[in-house]
Amino acid sequence: MNYKPDEATLIAYLYGELDSAEQLKVAEYLQKNPEERKRLEEWSFTQSVMARLHDKEVIAPPIIFGEDSNHVPLWKENYFRMSLGIAASLLFFLVAARLLGLSASYSPGELKIGFGMKEKSATQEVPMLTEQQVSKMIQSSVTSNNEALQTSWQQDRKSLEQSIQKNLHSNSLKLDRLMQTTSAASQEQVRTFVGQLQSDNLKLMKDYMQLSAKGQKEYVESLLVDFSKYLDEQRKQDLQFLQARVNKVEQNTDQFKQETEQILTSLITNTSTNNQRRN
Amino acid sequence: MSLLIKLFSPILHLYGVQRCICSTKPFSVVKTIPDVVMMHSDVLISQAREGDRHAQGKLVQLWYKRIYNFSYKFFYDHDLAMEAAQKTFISMHRNIAYLQDAARFRSWLYAIAVNCCREELRKKKGERSVSLSDLRPGEAEDSYTWERSGDRGENPERVLRQTELTDLLQACLTELSEEQREVVIMKEYEGLKFREIAETLNISENTVKSRMYYGLEALKRMFERRKITKETIGYEL
Repeated sequence: MNYKPDEATLIAYLYGELDSAEQLKVAEYLQKNPEERKRLEEWSFTQSVMARLHDKEVIAPPIIFGEDSNHVPLWKENYFRMSLGIAASLLFFLVAARLLGLSASYSPGELKIGFGMKEKSATQEVPMLTEQQVSKMIQSSVTSNNEALQTSWQQDRKSLEQSIQKNLHSNSLKLDRLMQTTSAASQEQVRTFVGQLQSDNLKLMKDYMQLSAKGQKEYVESLLVDFSKYLDEQRKQDLQFLQARVNKVEQNTDQFKQETEQILTSLITNTSTNNQRRN
Repeated sequence: MSLLIKLFSPILHLYGVQRCICSTKPFSVVKTIPDVVMMHSDVLISQAREGDRHAQGKLVQLWYKRIYNFSYKFFYDHDLAMEAAQKTFISMHRNIAYLQDAARFRSWLYAIAVNCCREELRKKKGERSVSLSDLRPGEAEDSYTWERSGDRGENPERVLRQTELTDLLQACLTELSEEQREVVIMKEYEGLKFREIAETLNISENTVKSRMYYGLEALKRMFERRKITKETIGYEL
């Protein structure tokens, strides 16, 4: 049997807290293992030494338990204190508001908060007007306004008519004067004016013609020069073309000549060989 | 043992305990009448749970010594132990109504005590100043240890040696880590079972045993270092 109790089992054995079966097993084990037994004896000695430390005699002091801690009076409850605090704050606020004369009013788009008593307005309040009075007042103001407008319009119209008449009169006078001056001009003056106009036109035409003739001449000259250049160029190209063609013909004839020579020589050689074979 | 219980039954009845008379639980660890009452104080606990302040007071009287000594061994400081014990019972008073199972009262109370001790320890670590009570009596001749002999009829030398041994053992206990110290005190001095300690500390039983193992090993080494052997202890006796 290879039984070995662990430390916890040994400690439990030391204090007699093992069941009988386990206790027997440990006892057997200790009999077989003197080293372990010695260790247990040492612990036992330690226990016996520790047992020399006795209890101190002491008298219990009077411990007075207060009221049942679970039964807290209402005024010591947290929720009661909180609500009392809120109520006190509200009361204080109301009293302070009363003393300071706090007033607050709200109308759409306007919030008024004020302190102190409201001052009475210096002007006496006007008693309220009835609807008929208001309509009468409006009517009278409208009629007076209309009358004023009428008079101002009439005055404006009069002044406008006067100014128009005045202008017309002055303009007609000016036109009359102009007509008189034009009719006063002589026949001779008209002729000289027309003559002068004709001579000016003639001179203008002459200058124009001169200028245009000169330009045409320069243009024709350049045109001729260009044309001669073109002809020259064309002739050169034709000559080059002809030359190339002639060269090609020459080459062809040379080639033809060589080919005929080759054919002739082959014919000659053939005939000579045939003759030799016959012989 | 049953005869002893029957003899003391009127006194137990005075403590408000009725079940303990007919209980079949073993009384191997029971030493005094208050211990008997403590072990079987189900009725007191149920009354305390219902808000009976008289029953709560009785529980305090019954358990104060245990909780104080647990705290004292934890801190090795009277004031801190008093503080932790008082806080434990105040917490007990506030929360006993929520205790589901009266049978778990012991582990529940120790759980409160452990939390209070941890809290006090945190506070103590946070404080920079050193209180006069922190200045432990040394081995010098002017130490007040000399003046602490209780019973004048006892041999003064023996009393002195016992006091020195107590201080030494308490110092060894204080040297343990916080976790090991809690387990060692609960097991060695408060007699809780490993299951109860696990329940109190909200850890597994194996972890409790492991802490106990390392605690014992550490104490063994400390004793060796301080040359506490069977011979020297025998001389002390």
